[in-house]
Amino acid sequence: MYESAREHPWVSRAAILLVAAVALTALGLGGTAVGDLLSPVIGLRDPDAPAGFARDLLVGLVLGVAFLINVEILKLLAFRIQVFVVWGELLLLFYGFVLSFDRDFGVIFEVGARSGVSNLYFLITTGAFTTLYVSLIAIAIACVLALLGALGKLSSNGMAYAMATFYISFFRGTPLLLQVVLIYTGFAQLGFVLEAVPAGITALSLCYGAYMAEIFRAGIEGVPPGQREAARALGVPDGLIFRKIIFPQAMRLIVPPTGNQFIAMLKDSSLVSVVGVWELTKTAQVLGKRDFQVFEFLIAAAVLYWIMSVVFELLQARLEAHYGKGQKR
Amino acid sequence: MKSIFKLGTAVVLASVLAAPAAMAGATLDRVMSSKTLTMSSDAEYPPQSFLNDANEMDGFDVDVGKEIARRMGVELKIVTPSWDIITGGNWGGRWDMSVGSMTPTKQRAEVLNFPAVYYYTPAAFAVHKDSKISSLADLNGKTIGACGGCTYDAYLNKDLVIDAEGAPPFEYKVEAGEIKTYETDTHAFDDLRLGDGTRLDAVFSALPTIQEAIDNGGYPMKVIGTPAFYEPLSVATDKGDPEFDAKITAIVEEMRADGTLKKLSEKWYGVDLTSVQ
Repeated sequence: MYESAREHPWVSRAAILLVAAVALTALGLGGTAVGDLLSPVIGLRDPDAPAGFARDLLVGLVLGVAFLINVEILKLLAFRIQVFVVWGELLLLFYGFVLSFDRDFGVIFEVGARSGVSNLYFLITTGAFTTLYVSLIAIAIACVLALLGALGKLSSNGMAYAMATFYISFFRGTPLLLQVVLIYTGFAQLGFVLEAVPAGITALSLCYGAYMAEIFRAGIEGVPPGQREAARALGVPDGLIFRKIIFPQAMRLIVPPTGNQFIAMLKDSSLVSVVGVWELTKTAQVLGKRDFQVFEFLIAAAVLYWIMSVVFELLQARLEAHYGKGQKR
Repeated sequence: MKSIFKLGTAVVLASVLAAPAAMAGATLDRVMSSKTLTMSSDAEYPPQSFLNDANEMDGFDVDVGKEIARRMGVELKIVTPSWDIITGGNWGGRWDMSVGSMTPTKQRAEVLNFPAVYYYTPAAFAVHKDSKISSLADLNGKTIGACGGCTYDAYLNKDLVIDAEGAPPFEYKVEAGEIKTYETDTHAFDDLRLGDGTRLDAVFSALPTIQEAIDNGGYPMKVIGTPAFYEPLSVATDKGDPEFDAKITAIVEEMRADGTLKKLSEKWYGVDLTSVQ
């Protein structure tokens, strides 16, 4: 099949066209603006007429052909340009999808009569800012906990091993939401009255520290034992072996999944809103409830989360390049 | 290792000593010395409490809280923990009172005190505007949405006990087919808005909240029948400070007597909900 498609590129093209046209027809897009635009072609002049199968099929075919032409043009482009164009196209599709909800997104940019600032400004300065600093502090503490947890789990000391495995098991084995509530209300009954933000940061750090301990352990174990042996043979002290030889090499393995965890944490930090922290999700809901336009603000929050994640994806790529330079040839 | 155990012992000891966190007068002392009365409130519950266009908390509950603080001669500060955390009690002094339209039920009275009922809200059913349902009897067997763990949920489950003085008697008029519960009332409205019967046939909530959603939110809903029950709504405080409770009782009584409460109710609801209907 693969061979024959290669010999006859038109076969695979026809297959793509068929699949795209069938799928697009099945979506039933005859009633959309595209359908209105195309219907005169097959003699349906009344744009208000109910969209039938003929219109669905017509739109499916036209869009299928457009899709095929798009793919053929993309094939001719260089890799980087392909990436940019496809990202742009997908973003446009996403934009169209959101617009199709027919909601009043203008409210996001509306300026409050008395506050003098736009809703988006408030969403960013109160919500996104809180999400960001809570997540940054929590990931920093989580990294320390993860390192301790990983070292404990790799330790030959029974007590250290037991404490580390207990910690990892408990905080991986219970829901983050419960941890937030338990740390906020439970500790208060023991006399430690943590405010909402510190309680939230504590819960996020403990939970993510437990997950990341396993990442750190895998990273440390992933450094070939020959490295340590060679260093020992050269008489390098044990502490120095870990800091200067094992750790930098482990980081290469640790950074990608840790970046992943951080991006997950950006979003999981919304759970700390239960104790009254106005992070991005909570702020979006509060703003939305004011005018009963929650949906619009949730979309705005989603886009802000996404932008923050993209920024950290780029940072992660740079960090990976830094720790990966030893592997470059 | 030893030092860890010592620390552990100290922690346990400290916690035992600190356990009765709110001693007599402790809350009142804290409020008066810090010149701040901290109140918990839901930021997503218009017109009771919400963020206004000055990006400040506003609403009936907030105004009542402000007035209580003013009469104590202190500043009001607002925090917004989730409803479950407020009703769970053991606030640990993080906030001093809840003016959050809370119904003083028996279960809640086990962990909280209710020093002052400040208004009575009617509970009503609403359906999608396209719905054929026209009376409470038509609601039997239907899918009804309400906030989870609240009095509306309890009413639908025929498990509502309001043990406040002067609470008007009520009877269970509706037999729900299925009860769907939500984090907050407006989420139920959102589901009803999707269409008649799409996810819900009706919602059950506070009449003022439904009215606000229809008038200011443009929700396609209509109210059905007469209110199912009137619930008294009270200021709540943590256990353990009778002096603070007495102060709240006296201030709310004063506000009722001089017409302040009535004025605030008319400002936010258009009607006087501060006495039994």
